[in-house]
This record gives sequence, C-alpha cells and structure tokens, in this order.
Amino acid sequence: MKVLVVAERNDGKLRRVSAEIATKAAAFCDVEVVEVTGTDRYHPVAHANAVAAHAKSSGADVVLTGATLNGRDLAARVAAKLGWAYAADCTDASATDGAFAVKRPMYAGKVRATLRVPTPAVLSIRPGAWTLPAGAAEAKPTAIRADASGEKLMFARFEPTATRGKRVSLSEASVIVSGGRGLKGPENWKMLEELADALGAATGASRAVTDAGWRPNEEQVGQTGKTVTPDLYIALGISGAIQHLAGMTSSKVIVAVNKDPDADIFKIADYGVVGDLFEFLPAFTAAVKKTKAGS
Amino acid sequence: MKFLVCLKQVPDSTVRVKVAPDGKSIATDGITWSISPYDEYAIELALEHKDSDPATTVSVVTVGPARSRDALRQALAMGCDDATLVTADDKVGGLDIAKALAAVVKEAKPDVVLCGKQASDDDQGLVGPALAEALGWPHVGMLTKIAAGGDGVELWREIEGGHEVWTAPLPVVGLVHKSAKEPRYPSLPGIMKAKKKEIPEKDLAALGVTPGAPRVEVVALEPPPQRGGGKILKADGDINALAVELARLLHEEAKVL
Repeated sequence: MKVLVVAERNDGKLRRVSAEIATKAAAFCDVEVVEVTGTDRYHPVAHANAVAAHAKSSGADVVLTGATLNGRDLAARVAAKLGWAYAADCTDASATDGAFAVKRPMYAGKVRATLRVPTPAVLSIRPGAWTLPAGAAEAKPTAIRADASGEKLMFARFEPTATRGKRVSLSEASVIVSGGRGLKGPENWKMLEELADALGAATGASRAVTDAGWRPNEEQVGQTGKTVTPDLYIALGISGAIQHLAGMTSSKVIVAVNKDPDADIFKIADYGVVGDLFEFLPAFTAAVKKTKAGS
Repeated sequence: MKFLVCLKQVPDSTVRVKVAPDGKSIATDGITWSISPYDEYAIELALEHKDSDPATTVSVVTVGPARSRDALRQALAMGCDDATLVTADDKVGGLDIAKALAAVVKEAKPDVVLCGKQASDDDQGLVGPALAEALGWPHVGMLTKIAAGGDGVELWREIEGGHEVWTAPLPVVGLVHKSAKEPRYPSLPGIMKAKKKEIPEKDLAALGVTPGAPRVEVVALEPPPQRGGGKILKADGDINALAVELARLLHEEAKVL
C-alpha cells in the first residue's frame, strides 16, 4: 500500500502532527511525505488541486493529513476531487485487506466509532493520536507546488483577535485552564491567566462565556467549539453541560473547582474542589508555582 | 443576495446519545431531533443579511429521511423563505449527498451556498467541500462573517489568533463555524407562517443521482470510557492547605504537574 502524507508547517517548523503521521505510517506502509508550497498560505482550492494531482500521478492508495484546521479542510476537498472514501479526525487507523480500520469520535465525542473505510481513501489524523517515539528521524517532506494564480478566491488580509496573547494554542496544549460563568465576569480572567501562566497552559472557556463575549470564540471548548484532549484540564466555575463535557471528557486528568457540590462536572472529575473559586484560585496558583519551583 | 443553506437533522445536542443493542447505531427511541448546531449558525448568518436587506432571500434544503421535514419547518419558522426536502435513507454516502445538493443548487441558482462546517452526528465535514467541488466553486471554511467586498464578497475565516479575510466573486460556498449572534428562536407568527408553507419533496433519482460513492461502514459504536470516582475535596477549612494538597496530588499521584 502506498501512502501519501501531506505535512504542514507552523512558523517554518514541521508540525508535530505531521511528524507523528509520517513516522507511524512509515512503520506499516510505503510512505511519501510531501508539503505544498507555492502559495503564502493555505488555499482551499489550489492546495486540493495540487495534492489530488500528486496522489493520482504517484499511484497513492491513501492520503493522510493532520486533523488540523487546514488539514481537515484539505482532506475533505481532496477526497471529493478523487471520489475516494473519507474519514476525518481519526484517533487510529490500521490497514486490513483492501480497507482501513479506523477509530474516531462521533456525536461530538459522545460515541466512539470503529469504521471500515475502503481504499483508496483520504484520512485526517487527530494531533497526538499517534505519539511520536523519542528519537524518531525527522521527516523531510518533498515540495509539491500549488498554483493559486488563476484562482478567483484570493486572500486579502489577516485580522488578529484583539485579546490574543502569546499563549499556547488550545488544540495542541498539554495543559488547559478553562473558565465558566462561575468567574462572574471578564475582569476576573486575570486570576485564571495567572494560573495558566504558572502551568504554561492554554486558556479555554465554556460556551456561556464566549456567547457573553467575555472571551473570544476561539477559546470555546465543547460541542460547537474545540474538542481537546490535554494531559490536564482544569475547569473553573464550569457546571458541566453535556455539550461542554463532550469536548473535554477525553482529557487525561480533569480537575474541577465549583461551589455547587451537585455540578455535573464533578461526575467526570478526577479531582474536585467544592468551594469558593475566588478564595481557592490564588492559593492554588501559589501552590502550583511552589511545586513547579521544587520539581 | 440569494442564500441557500444546506442543513441536516441530527439528535439534539442535549440528548445523551446511547448505543443501540445492535452495537452499530444509536438508540433513537424518544430522542429529540434538531437542526445541527453549525447549520443553525449558517441559517442565522444568512438571516442576519435578510434583516438588513429585505431583498435577500434564504432557502433551505436537506437530504435525509422523511423526519427531516421537521428541521426544514423549524428553519422556515426562523424566517427562511422556502425549503426543499430531498428524501434519501441515512446510508447514502457524503459524496452522493453532495451530488444531490449540487443538482438542487444548479436549479435554484443561489449566490451563496452555506453549510455548517460539520454535522454533529458523524462530525465528518465532508459534504460542504464536496458540494463546492461538485459545483466547481471555491469554498471557505470556518466562516464567521460574509460581507460585500472586492468584486463579490469578503469571507471571514476563523483561525488561531484571528481571521483570514478572503475575497471571491459570487457564487461561493461557505462552511459556517459561527454567526454574529446566537441562532434566533422562531417567532409565533413565524411558526404560523411556516405551517402553511409547502415543502416540495424530491428523491435522488429525480435529481439524477444514483448512489455509488465509496461509503464508510460503521463496524461498532461504543460509549467513551466512563469516568468518575474522583477525589472530592471540600474547601471548608484552611484554603491554603487545601490548595497545597491539590498541587501535591497532581504532582505525586496524577503526575501531571
């Protein structure tokens, strides 16, 4: 079986998920790793054209991308262009006879599915699903050129989000500190950010918070926001609506702080603190700093 | 501007999804069905244009089983102008659904086709880009805003740290992530009006589509691993000691600190 891995870069560096896929796929298949060049940024049409054409000419049976924002967008259009089978956001994939056995979440994470995806196929693989072994040789992608010069769809400009700091990105963070309505207002996020800084964490929010405009949309964790699987998820003042739980229940360790002992978030938490957030949080941030300094 | 919004009826987001006894599907007895959340945002985004420009029309279409008619009725009650139901069983693959939608688009000739970025049942996100491909139109994903600009429209795509703003002449396909406001609730007059509207029904054959695209087959569904039995600490004594204890547990026991 011949596999085409489409790698992505972030600030010039190969994305971790691209390395994960290239390394894992090399273990069971004949792999070619490519990256799309020729445009300043991802172009939905031009990149799909380039990848589909290369998949055809190289005789690939499977195209793999990272299940990133651009990787998912690309994979879907490439699958349509080639008329191949498609599965998004796979947490595992292994070749069986003439098909892939794929595992992926469905129903916004409320169900885990095992699927049979016939080849040829296009799959996007969730970042972190295939962990990178230490000392794995770095993949060296071959460049394939996209040509966007004839495209009517054109990039005009970038509009940065005003509140954005230099924080870790939510979807790839290993620690996330999330806030809910229990924080009572956007002015109290300073407290949450102090803890996030102490932990080197990304900041997240519940839908109630992003809907109220306290935090930007991109921080929303849950069904209509991001699905995250960090090593440590700290939920502050989040009651745990089913839509929020769907987005973070696969985190390795969940800590919840809430004043309501009956809050649903405690049903899935590994560690829960029932009490006043505003009293507990500064004390906990100090304790984290101390622990970090000592370890 | 003429909008066409493609929607899908899915289990409501408040439903606790359970696996059916066959182990391959979900239990649908007594569950509430709704418009998929991202499709609701797509409807809202289009209706916001209609609010500011009454010349705007918003049509909706779905490809799905007969029960999907309720979702179309809901969209009409929110303020959409007309609806089309394409009946198909839920085994039809995404690429075939895209072909059926493309046939509807060619007839309706909208300026902008909107889809939610993914349906909240299979979470694939295939149909939108596949529809754009079938039409030979460009698409922009993660759409949060569409405005007049350039020779056609400006399309705002949410990425990490901000928005990419793309321009394209019409027609174009947008895959919606969020609308400016929360999706509106149907008004009482809206519900009354929607009840009286005809919803024409077509099948795949009438649109010239013979299902044949490669299909992904569900082998098994299972609930995510159960969590629970966590340690609950009560903050009724020394708050500093409690904070130190939690930090210790995360460091020594959970080893995540």
